[in-house]
Amino acid sequence: MKKLITIGLILGLAGCSLFSSKVEAANIDITGTVQSRCIVNTDTAGMYGNPNAYTLTTVPASAGQLPIVRVDVSLANAYHAKISYPTSFSSSPSLGDTVAWTGAATVVQTSTSDMSGYQSASSLSGAMRTYALTVAGTTWFSVASVATYGGGQQKPFPGGSYKAVVLAECIAQ
Amino acid sequence: MTSKVLGMNAVGGMDITGVIYQYTAVKDKDDNFVVTVGNEDLDGNYLWKDTEDWSGKYGMKIRKLIPLAFLPIAKFGKGKIATTGTGSVEDANVIYMYRFDACFDPQSDPSCPGYVKPIPVVPKIIIYDALEDDNVKGATEETDKELIEEKEESNEDEEREEDEMQLEMALASSTNALTIANEVTQGSVVRAMNTATNINNYYVADISGGAYNDSTPLQGGTIVDNKNAFRSLAQDNLMNEMIGEQYK
Repeated sequence: MKKLITIGLILGLAGCSLFSSKVEAANIDITGTVQSRCIVNTDTAGMYGNPNAYTLTTVPASAGQLPIVRVDVSLANAYHAKISYPTSFSSSPSLGDTVAWTGAATVVQTSTSDMSGYQSASSLSGAMRTYALTVAGTTWFSVASVATYGGGQQKPFPGGSYKAVVLAECIAQ
Repeated sequence: MTSKVLGMNAVGGMDITGVIYQYTAVKDKDDNFVVTVGNEDLDGNYLWKDTEDWSGKYGMKIRKLIPLAFLPIAKFGKGKIATTGTGSVEDANVIYMYRFDACFDPQSDPSCPGYVKPIPVVPKIIIYDALEDDNVKGATEETDKELIEEKEESNEDEEREEDEMQLEMALASSTNALTIANEVTQGSVVRAMNTATNINNYYVADISGGAYNDSTPLQGGTIVDNKNAFRSLAQDNLMNEMIGEQYK
């Protein structure tokens, strides 16, 4: 009986010495999700009207449709909305002359009266207007775009399909 | 809430989950202007309302979502947009979002829990009997000769029976009267005769002494009852009894 106990003790010690010679390590993942606090959606697609041969415009009076962008912000004073009217066609027939671009971004609707000052507080830089989104909620921006062909010579646009892009961005302050 | 307010027929089982309203506030920046959108409850108080203070702000178009906690449509009263201050509201539009519980009334659909199969009301059916219709009777009487003849025969039989009954009653009355009169007359004659006879007998009575022996010798043997007489008496008794019954 004593012999059996002694042998068992020796085997146990040998096992301990074998495992203690290795170093254990583990990589533990840390995961997380950040939900956007600012969402930009297309509310209404725009369409150019063609009141005359050399003009394309989104103005409703000229049979155009103003594109409307919707910006939802769930955190106040955290984002800027940057809305740019187009300055080139994304697709069009081959144009041999210059196109003059004008446009404007406007706050057309808000989810609270506290946003009514967005337009007056905005700043313009070239074709891009920047809005400070100081209130949580939804703001609708419309973009007017007018393209005139011929560099002042009132040349008619070549026939075909024309597309332009309004850029709307939500950028953290 | 009326269908005019909702734009649709309001029914039980509808819960309002939210309201989207929009309008354009037309005002000068410096003017004070407050707009309240809401619905009254049945008592005239606001069930929900949302107020925008446009004072010192630019007037513009507003669109707002107001979540509501599944308010039953039965609680909704009049909806209104109230303003105070200087300004106006244009192009107002209010959209109600709702959910609908189709099983609010379990009887609305057999698949709803708690549905009880209704017991149909058994209609009371009046069976038309043309033979009992007066119009039909009248029409058939005019055209059906057999019916007319049958009816006439029936009427004649009834009249004949009635006459016979009346005649029998008259005869019975006269017979009874004669019978009673005869009995009374005969009785009075007999009584008078008996009275005279009885008195005369006393006057002429000459009772001599002595013994009066039976003059009729009785022969030995068995005297048998006259069965015919008995039967005759029995029948007369029965007849008398029957006649007597008529006057009870």
